[in-house]
Amino acid sequence: MTDEQAQPAGEAGLFIYGIVPSDVEPTPDAEGVGNPPGEVTVVRHGDLAALVSEVGLEEPMGRPADLTAYQTLLDGTAAVAPVLPVRFGTVVTGPDAVQDLLEAHHDRFAAALDEFEDRLQYTVHGRFDEEEMISDFLAENPSAAALADHVRGRPEAESREQRIRLGEMISQGVELRREAENRALIDLLTPYAVAHAPRPPSSELDAMNVAFLVAADDEEEFVRVLEEFAEQRRDLIRMRLLGPLAPYDFVSAHQLVE
Amino acid sequence: MSIATTSGRQGGALERGGGGGGGGTLADVVETVLDKGVVIDAQVSVAVVGIQLLEINARIVIASVDTYLRFAETVDRLSIVPKGTKGLPDLAGDAAGAATKGKAISGLGKAAQEISGAVADSLSDRGSDRGRDRPRRRRDEER
Repeated sequence: MTDEQAQPAGEAGLFIYGIVPSDVEPTPDAEGVGNPPGEVTVVRHGDLAALVSEVGLEEPMGRPADLTAYQTLLDGTAAVAPVLPVRFGTVVTGPDAVQDLLEAHHDRFAAALDEFEDRLQYTVHGRFDEEEMISDFLAENPSAAALADHVRGRPEAESREQRIRLGEMISQGVELRREAENRALIDLLTPYAVAHAPRPPSSELDAMNVAFLVAADDEEEFVRVLEEFAEQRRDLIRMRLLGPLAPYDFVSAHQLVE
Repeated sequence: MSIATTSGRQGGALERGGGGGGGGTLADVVETVLDKGVVIDAQVSVAVVGIQLLEINARIVIASVDTYLRFAETVDRLSIVPKGTKGLPDLAGDAAGAATKGKAISGLGKAAQEISGAVADSLSDRGSDRGRDRPRRRRDEER
């Protein structure tokens, strides 16, 4: 294998991280994807710009460090300026291509950036405590509890059918509970968020997974209300708040496609 | 509608993470950024270069027989009610009618002669987050 970093310009491309207003300046310590990390620069066109770094085209992208660099840069940018994340792995031929892109989609990019001004994403993720969840469920479902009684302590080989049936009942119970928790969360936080976007569950025990777009002015209240909500459920659900983040879940894929 | 078990413990129930890539796990990063963002299609711009992307598997959650069996195994571990006790369905019926789930559970706990360590834990001094595989991070900011 040859050293990708030393390839001539023809073998390199520009990795695009996100679209920003043209007054955004990357800090000198900003690190891009690649190994070693690429230097992050901006390509400007009028009032828009793109955050980019050079990548070797032979170098496979998507190592954990690449994903982390991508997110770190976008979240760090979002904290100071509106940013439109561009899907991970988008690489173009060079600065001219970036400028063409900014020109061709100027109005849409500009409108989206306006919309994200002073707004950040927070993702709320909750996970049921398995034992607590199942205890709750059995306490509320006599027929499942009876089946649990029947199955408990018996080897899987001779109780497999009943075990599967019990597990399925529990699984449905978890699903219903998840729907209810997601709804409760959204209802609670709607007054403090500009928008919300449900996210698919990331495990069988997910209690909730929702992204919220929050105005800077409402952040404090948003977090306070959410903390209360989490406190009320602390036995049952382990709740986590990710953010502030770039608005990953509020940039729709169709935004560019006519 | 809530289980108002104020355990008197200090420390919020809400864990903070992510943001600026700090405090989040790799799983968080993958879940946060994967398949998100503006798509610049090759048809829209011929200048888009196809690069080799390492395969990143977003986990698609489908409840399966394996999940069911695992849940059933958890039930084994719970042993809320001593074997052979027939009272559970009745009791649970009562409990379901009670005002809150919190009550239902503690009702059961009292009824059962022996409550398993795990459940007792979660009822009394909850929050230790036993046996969790993810590191806890509490840094609000890191940059």
